Amino acid sequence: MWVIYQWIKKNSYPLLAFSLFLFSFNQILQYQIYQHSFYFNSSISFIRSIDEWRSNFTSFVNLKTENDKLRNENLILRNSIAYSDSLIGLYDQIKGDTTYLDTLSSPDKTRKISYDYVTAKVIRNSTNRPDNYFYLDKGSVHGIKERMAVMGPEGIVGVIIQTTKHYAIGMSVLNSKFETTPLLKRLGLREGVLKWNGSDSRLMSLDEISRTEKVKTGDIVLTSNYSSIFPPYQPIGKVKKVNNNTSSQFLEIEIELSTNFNKLNTVYCVSTRFKNEMDSLQNSPLISPVSGINDKKK
Amino acid sequence: MIEAVKHIFIAIILGLLQSYLIQEVPMGFYLKPMPYLMLFFVLPLNLNRFIVLISAFIYGTLIDLSSGSFGTHSAATVVMVFVKYYIDKALIDFDSLKLQGESYIGLESKGWMFFVYYSLSLIFIHHFLFFGLDFFEISSIIRITTTALVSTIGTFSLVLLFKSLFNK
Repeated sequence: MWVIYQWIKKNSYPLLAFSLFLFSFNQILQYQIYQHSFYFNSSISFIRSIDEWRSNFTSFVNLKTENDKLRNENLILRNSIAYSDSLIGLYDQIKGDTTYLDTLSSPDKTRKISYDYVTAKVIRNSTNRPDNYFYLDKGSVHGIKERMAVMGPEGIVGVIIQTTKHYAIGMSVLNSKFETTPLLKRLGLREGVLKWNGSDSRLMSLDEISRTEKVKTGDIVLTSNYSSIFPPYQPIGKVKKVNNNTSSQFLEIEIELSTNFNKLNTVYCVSTRFKNEMDSLQNSPLISPVSGINDKKK
Repeated sequence: MIEAVKHIFIAIILGLLQSYLIQEVPMGFYLKPMPYLMLFFVLPLNLNRFIVLISAFIYGTLIDLSSGSFGTHSAATVVMVFVKYYIDKALIDFDSLKLQGESYIGLESKGWMFFVYYSLSLIFIHHFLFFGLDFFEISSIIRITTTALVSTIGTFSLVLLFKSLFNK
């Protein structure tokens, strides 16, 4: 306080001059029409620019929250798409059946092929090893279970193989142990085995497709409804190269993955609501365990 | 006391001259002299600086009221008096001035040239600020400077004229 008093006492002359000048200046801005309007307009535009800057800054700071919101919204949308897909599937199944309306109104039956989605973030991911895995920031507490499918915004990512309370490890599709039967959309073909050849993180190979099938470059590859893990009709990628080798009875097909594994961030873990029932069927002694659902043609 | 009355008289005369004669006569060609500034060139240098500053503000405000230019004269006058104090402090030897028997800078105090530079620069500071606040536009800077320069010469001529009249 003493220091402030001393400072004011020392600089009293310039301070007095400054305050008198400010008083006069204020008079000018208040009572002279041109200066007043100039000051008013400038201050308005200045305040506007500050407002704009502040709003830009706030939206930048809130980007994370906005991102979370969008992710949750996507989750809800995906869930509703899955639900409506299940209804369409059901409709296909019961077409012509007089009990159609009864079936629809029964919630237990309409939800038969529905899927549950849990959103998660990839916290560690590898793409350059022969067997690649990724870690998620959510675990069993959040509803993630083993053998759940993992989907990215652009397409399939992998399968959950182990969970802890708050984390989960997934086997990437870029793994020598990963295999699935895809659907070639244009041909309606549910055949072949999709595998990673271990070299390029954007490429997979599709084997065991007969040479008689007319697969073309650019054909879209989706997940098939033969998979007990992945929901059907989810994007995998598209055909990049077809090699018709006469020495083999199968085509050599290269698939370009739609998911860029080097930029993987947000994923959705998907599980079928009636997975246990399907698994119990799969383990039925009447059929061989692996070929039961995955390889059977529709 | 007589000194004070004399200065108040000069202030009234200069104020009336400024408000009712100089300001009312259109001189054209950027010429707007302000001879009321002469008051601050005849005030004793040993006068309390705070009193000079406050009286400059009041005087400027009175001129503003009479001419309808709210705040412009007072702001410019306050700044000029403020700068003048530091110029006086830096350039003028008060003791030798006292020995000469003078209380302010006259034509012969430190020579003609000194007086010309001293008063021209102070008047220019005042005028530049005055017209700057009057035009209130950065884009008019050339016009502001021209008007300030021309009016400075006008004011200086009037100051010289009055000085020679009063000295006689």
